[in-house]
Amino acid sequence: MADAGLIALSAGIAVGITGMASAWAEKEIGSAAIGAMAENEKLFGKGLILTVIPETIVIFGMVVAILLWLNM
Amino acid sequence: MLLPIQMTRVLIVGSRGALKDTIELLYRLEAAHLIDFSAEEEGFSLGAPLPESSEASQRLLKLRSLEKDMGVDAAEVRGRMDVAQIEKDLAATIAELEVEITSVTESRNKLAGRINELEAERAVLKGFLGIPLDMEMYSGYESLRVLTGKVRGDPSVAVRAAAPQSEVFLSDSGDFVAVFVAKAQADEAQRALAQFGFTEVPAPAKSGSPQQLVARADEELTALRASLEEAVRKLEELRERHAAFVKAADEHLSIVVEKAETPLRVGTTEYAFAMDAWVPTSDVPKVEKAIAEGLGGKVHLEALATAPRKEAHASHEGEENPKSLAEEAPTKTENGRIVKQFEYMERMLSTPKYNEIDPTVTMMITIPIFFGLMVGDIGYGIPFMILGWLGLRNCRSDEWRTISTLLFYGGIWATIFGVFLFGEMYGIHFAEQPHDMSWSSLLGVQLPHEIAIGGFEIPLGIYSKLHNVKPILYMTIWIGLIHVFIGYVIGVYNKAIRFGLKHAILERFSWLLIVIGGALLLLIVVDAMILGKTVELTDLRILIAAPLIVVGILLAYKGEGAAAILDLPGLMGNVISYTRLAAIGMSKAGLALAFNTIAFEVLWGHDFLVPGSNSGDTIILIAVLAIFLVGHLTIFILAIISAGLHSLRLHYVEFFMKFYEGGGVDFKPLKVIRKYTIEKNGVSE
Repeated sequence: MADAGLIALSAGIAVGITGMASAWAEKEIGSAAIGAMAENEKLFGKGLILTVIPETIVIFGMVVAILLWLNM
Repeated sequence: MLLPIQMTRVLIVGSRGALKDTIELLYRLEAAHLIDFSAEEEGFSLGAPLPESSEASQRLLKLRSLEKDMGVDAAEVRGRMDVAQIEKDLAATIAELEVEITSVTESRNKLAGRINELEAERAVLKGFLGIPLDMEMYSGYESLRVLTGKVRGDPSVAVRAAAPQSEVFLSDSGDFVAVFVAKAQADEAQRALAQFGFTEVPAPAKSGSPQQLVARADEELTALRASLEEAVRKLEELRERHAAFVKAADEHLSIVVEKAETPLRVGTTEYAFAMDAWVPTSDVPKVEKAIAEGLGGKVHLEALATAPRKEAHASHEGEENPKSLAEEAPTKTENGRIVKQFEYMERMLSTPKYNEIDPTVTMMITIPIFFGLMVGDIGYGIPFMILGWLGLRNCRSDEWRTISTLLFYGGIWATIFGVFLFGEMYGIHFAEQPHDMSWSSLLGVQLPHEIAIGGFEIPLGIYSKLHNVKPILYMTIWIGLIHVFIGYVIGVYNKAIRFGLKHAILERFSWLLIVIGGALLLLIVVDAMILGKTVELTDLRILIAAPLIVVGILLAYKGEGAAAILDLPGLMGNVISYTRLAAIGMSKAGLALAFNTIAFEVLWGHDFLVPGSNSGDTIILIAVLAIFLVGHLTIFILAIISAGLHSLRLHYVEFFMKFYEGGGVDFKPLKVIRKYTIEKNGVSE
């Protein structure tokens, strides 16, 4: 078995950095979506959907973290 | 039928005199989606509004301004009025209301203005109350200057030192001063006053003692306020008496105007009119018959063509084909009562095209299942169900109804998964656990691991969200594969009816092969990576999967070009994206574990190895329950946002991308929706 501390650290990095990446992407999309909504409220649905799309990045990070954890 | 209802394009022509009756008839039939007349056709010009339009618009305008003055609230209005009655009373009531409301609002505004004035005067006079001088003493001097105003502190000594020829009166309260000073020394006096934060309040030109003046102002204010109240009450009375009528008349007039302006969408010549419309194919005979019978042969309906589902495939060089009938036809879907509740979720993204499957039914099945899987806890599932049920009963707006629908059906699945798959309530398992507390250990009773129903042993909780991550993750990948697979199957069907079988095979069936191949490879990956078996290259699954994938890629390459190869990792990403079903469940279970540990193990001193053990302190028990409540309320609210949004997103992004195009036009037939009025006998006189 590999070093447990290193694995835990790697899992943390995997989730942490992908989380920041998601946040960064969502921030850009979210502010644009709100701008669009100010013009046309009907765009709420589309804006919401577009905003949560980058959430997949952190899900990938989480999957990697879980795989690491399972190998601990 | 999952496809939108078939539409037929019809042309209705007739003599111009019959236009009004035709419009009335079509409004009653509620089956014709009018196509705006484009002024390009030779010999035709846009129709003019019917004569009643201008009068009705004027009245509507007046009525709306009256409504604003009265402050009519739509929510207060109950009951419906007969249109004939409205027609009869309209002119008289509007005239009467106009006179009454104008006079009341005018007097109300005047009163309010005078009250403001008096209040300002009274505020000025208040300062002079503490000085024993009548108001006429403050003016009319030749050699004296009078300075009156507010001060902080007593300035008399300083003022007398700076300007010996002066007299200072300080009010009893010590914050108002009146200084009488020789004009020559006025500047010095003012400078001295400035050090005490002097702000000048000029004496009003009145006579009599300030006490008398204030008392008089108060008297007048009381009277004015009473009349203001009276005016407001009168307005309220008018509102109560006429709100229902005004609202109903507003609706009626809006309908009249809408109908009277319909000719603006119709082409006319001097003696005839022609209108283009879409009618559901099944309704065409009904409309035809109604026109033939109702309009005495002056109007004729001609069914031009039934819109086909098939359309020309846009070539890859980006050329746009002219719009075909299939692309222009409006979309009317016929969904049952329950399916309809999910329609808004789909419309939020887009309306389906006329020639593609309306995916609302598939959403109705999978959205609540995904939601339930992510929540998976009876403790949240039942409150969700109750909340959703209440919402469906009481809410009217589309948005809230949609949320309620999601909560209700999602709550049902959350309860089912919570009991049978995860076996937990508020993140705590029912039956005894080897590493964790459980309701059994907490309450000191033995809850079973399974129940027997009709000879079958039904387990209460197979997996724990936090301890059996592997199987749940594996399960969600399979859910993803199946969901994406269904998406491609619908895609094959859509492409087949729209562009023909060849395009369907090249562009969608190819991906189906790749998904099947990918599923087989997944089994191998699990064998190799997780179960640690060695996999031979001659494994049967590889022998089947490899050709499937290769053929699939080749077909897709032929159909879509190089972009198909770029889509491959995207497909893998889509499937992995479904692991969020497990991830969100885990994160909620993790939060719940944290709150439960703080509450029960740390504070209450519960040891899961000793059933029923606790510190036995009542005060601590209250704190424990408070933490439990707040913690789980947080998780509950987060669950609405995360589980609801993510289950929607899995549909919009991962699922719909496989087949859905959207961008259709909603079928909007000529029809009126009445909320405050009823039309007796179908004809308004």
